[in-house]
Amino acid sequence: MSSAVLSTALTAAGISAEVSDEAFGVLARVAACDIAGALMALRDGDGAFALLVDLFATDTGDELEVTYHLRSFARDEDAYVRLVVQYDAEVPSVWRVYPAALYPEREAAELFGLTFPGHPNPKRLLTTDEVELPLLRKSTPIRTNEEVHDR
Amino acid sequence: MSILVRVLLALVLMLVNGVVLIYMLRKVLAHLHLRVGPNRVGPWGVFQTSIDVLKLLTKEDFIPAAADHWLFRLAPYMVFVPSFMAYAALVLGPRTAFSRLDTGLLYVFAVLAIVPMGVMMAGWASNSKWSLIGGMRAAAQQISYEVPLLLSVLPIVMTAGSMSLTRIVQSQTGYALGFIPRWNFFSPQLVGFALFLVAALAELNQTPFDMSEAESELISGFANEYSGMRFGLLFLSEFSNSFVISALGATLFFGGWLVPGVDPASPVMVWLGPVAFIIKTYLGIFVLMWIRGTMPRIRIDQMLELGWKALIPLSLVWLMITGFILQLVRGVG
Amino acid sequence: MTDPQLPQACILPEGESPTPVLPRGLRRVPRGVDELATEHLIVNMGPQHPSTHGVLHILLELDGEEIIAAEASLGYLHRGIEKLAEHRRYNAVGTLLDRADYVSGIHTELAFAQATEQLMGIEVPPKALWLRSMFSEIVRITSHLVAIGTYGLDIGAMAPFLYIMRDREALLKVLESVTGARMMFNYVRPGGVLADLTPEAEPLLRQFLKTFPGYLDEYHTLLTGNEIFQARVKGIGVIDRATAIAFGMSGPPLRASGLGWDVRKERPYAAYDQLRFDVPVGADGDCWDRYFVRMEEMRISAELIEQCLDGMPEGEVSAKVPKVLKPPAGEAYSAVESPRGEVGIHVVSDGTDTPYRMHLKGPSLMNLAVVDEVMPGHKIADSVAIIGSLDIVLGEIDR
Repeated sequence: MSSAVLSTALTAAGISAEVSDEAFGVLARVAACDIAGALMALRDGDGAFALLVDLFATDTGDELEVTYHLRSFARDEDAYVRLVVQYDAEVPSVWRVYPAALYPEREAAELFGLTFPGHPNPKRLLTTDEVELPLLRKSTPIRTNEEVHDR
Repeated sequence: MSILVRVLLALVLMLVNGVVLIYMLRKVLAHLHLRVGPNRVGPWGVFQTSIDVLKLLTKEDFIPAAADHWLFRLAPYMVFVPSFMAYAALVLGPRTAFSRLDTGLLYVFAVLAIVPMGVMMAGWASNSKWSLIGGMRAAAQQISYEVPLLLSVLPIVMTAGSMSLTRIVQSQTGYALGFIPRWNFFSPQLVGFALFLVAALAELNQTPFDMSEAESELISGFANEYSGMRFGLLFLSEFSNSFVISALGATLFFGGWLVPGVDPASPVMVWLGPVAFIIKTYLGIFVLMWIRGTMPRIRIDQMLELGWKALIPLSLVWLMITGFILQLVRGVG
Repeated sequence: MTDPQLPQACILPEGESPTPVLPRGLRRVPRGVDELATEHLIVNMGPQHPSTHGVLHILLELDGEEIIAAEASLGYLHRGIEKLAEHRRYNAVGTLLDRADYVSGIHTELAFAQATEQLMGIEVPPKALWLRSMFSEIVRITSHLVAIGTYGLDIGAMAPFLYIMRDREALLKVLESVTGARMMFNYVRPGGVLADLTPEAEPLLRQFLKTFPGYLDEYHTLLTGNEIFQARVKGIGVIDRATAIAFGMSGPPLRASGLGWDVRKERPYAAYDQLRFDVPVGADGDCWDRYFVRMEEMRISAELIEQCLDGMPEGEVSAKVPKVLKPPAGEAYSAVESPRGEVGIHVVSDGTDTPYRMHLKGPSLMNLAVVDEVMPGHKIADSVAIIGSLDIVLGEIDR
């Protein structure tokens, strides 16, 4: 049911999306450039996805996925919107749609080496300037204290 | 007795007070808070404060590089000396006082008014933003609460007809209805006492008015950058101030050295008087600590509002009522 | 007039598109308030500060006592939990997550265990579900007690904190006897829980439940009824419903703003579908409401513990699970109502014995974001009241 809502809302806004029912919920895959429009359509459309629960990125090994977890109180449903980008790519900031994205976007930018153009405060969130980034990419190894010390 | 001996005696009283009061504060707060308090150094931890003073004395006296050195050094004395000077006016018993001042009350308030200047100085000289805010708060607080404090004791000056603390105590001798002591507290001056208590809490920087310290907001306000004995002096003068104000409260509202049932002229009062006075003062301090252990802190703007919009008008009204009644009584009599 | 010495951190470069929805903390305020050319004072509140609840660092731009702009600066407790989890087996991740939200570790554990069970399709025995619910509520009370107690400290009242610590001890004894730890439980494991109630746990709990209403009354006397406390928190830090939703808030702060969304009710997990409870909702969304919602939740949690004790089914406390968990490839999201809000764990599995990616959705991070928006216009003392009322735990924000 929810997947239908998602696809109608997105097509109404003229955004091509691939909606599927995954084990963890309904997932819409959109292109990076469409993300702000897609979220706007979902927030203001029939779905009324008023809340951005979370935003996080994943390193698949070849590219980065950014997932937006939305919730509709009116429909009592969750939905996910996902986009796939190359490393070091730019993903438009969605803070104008969901101010809740302000912190998680900074975090994703910092830990995955993404850029969120349009973010009002694009500073590091969790690490200091000396820490080498991006930490959460698969290419970044975990080092023990000794290894760090010996470097 | 020569002046030097008196000064030394006053200093001893002040230092002993400081040590005893800090211990008392810890124990009282601890028991209010279901804690034990100091109990390791000596029996019931009675030597804890002395050891702490020793620690403060031997600690490195650290002055921040960016601080204004002169003011930073001067500020603790600006706080400590006036509160020491205030002891001069205290009248402990019928024959015991550090000096006999005809305007003792005025003198105490005049001297204590210097203390916030020292606090402000400490806040400014530390060159720390938190300290600065603490110092400015102290200034605002002093300006707004000095007035009601003075106004709240003026009715007593009017009834006693004197600013001398000895006279004020003497005016409280005798009994109403044969058994109630004619202390100001039991007279209609109860209203004055309520005003005095609130204003004194603010003047003393005590919870709920501990604006310039406010440890949950300003960490420790004006004393932030102080360490060692300089901090010790700031800390000590705080306790000595509460002794002075509490002693004033005892003198003005609770008959000073008077003991109900004992003739003030009897020779036994020479030693009983000071004992009674100290006991009354310490009871007053206990009440202050009790309030400190229970109350949350009020916000600065609410405090200033209370001072200007409630306490000052109320104390002015009370002053007028007292004057009116006095005039009536005297006119009739 | 610009001052080169002032840190640029707080404020955007001038002319950079301040729109109405931009958090007020990020909006540029002109220096030089009037002809006197007074300057605003920029103060670092934290990371060492008695009432930022850990190592939170807030940049405050002050005009006298008034806050003009505020910006939270995080990361002082960043331990890379998400990265470390990618290198640990599934049953070892719980210990990491205990240390994320160190005041209520059991909820984060529970979220992860549930996510793993979703991936593997493990059926959890009913007794384990009931134990999970019960211990969630026990930890909720301990956590709310800390929140209320430290809130009293923030407002300047020291006594409630120590009274609360006395009463919290009773619950910590129960937790210690069952889980072996007072804070870092590692009690909820994929498949069930670590252990059944110990013989001494139930009498201790019953005793606590008998005395707790009296304790609550005591806190109400010490804090709720206090005129000064009310003056300090009523009408302070108002977060309206729209703002709360826009900033993705959850938990007591969201409910205080008038939206009664509770994961326990809306997405029942563990045994919550079989328990009866109300969700307290505030009206104004000010600090007072957030405080009061927590007080009410403690009362309700105590009732829930009683229901759990009475209705506890017999049986195993854990399903049979292999020693090394290897969930099939896939993704799972599991949410749990922690004392701070919705704790979500998003796990991506690639079929190996370590998570491919584990993301922790911390409620504190989302709840904190609103600080930039709410603080301006308040006094310094209110900033402390606002942070305290949001009840953040830095371990979970910084991860």
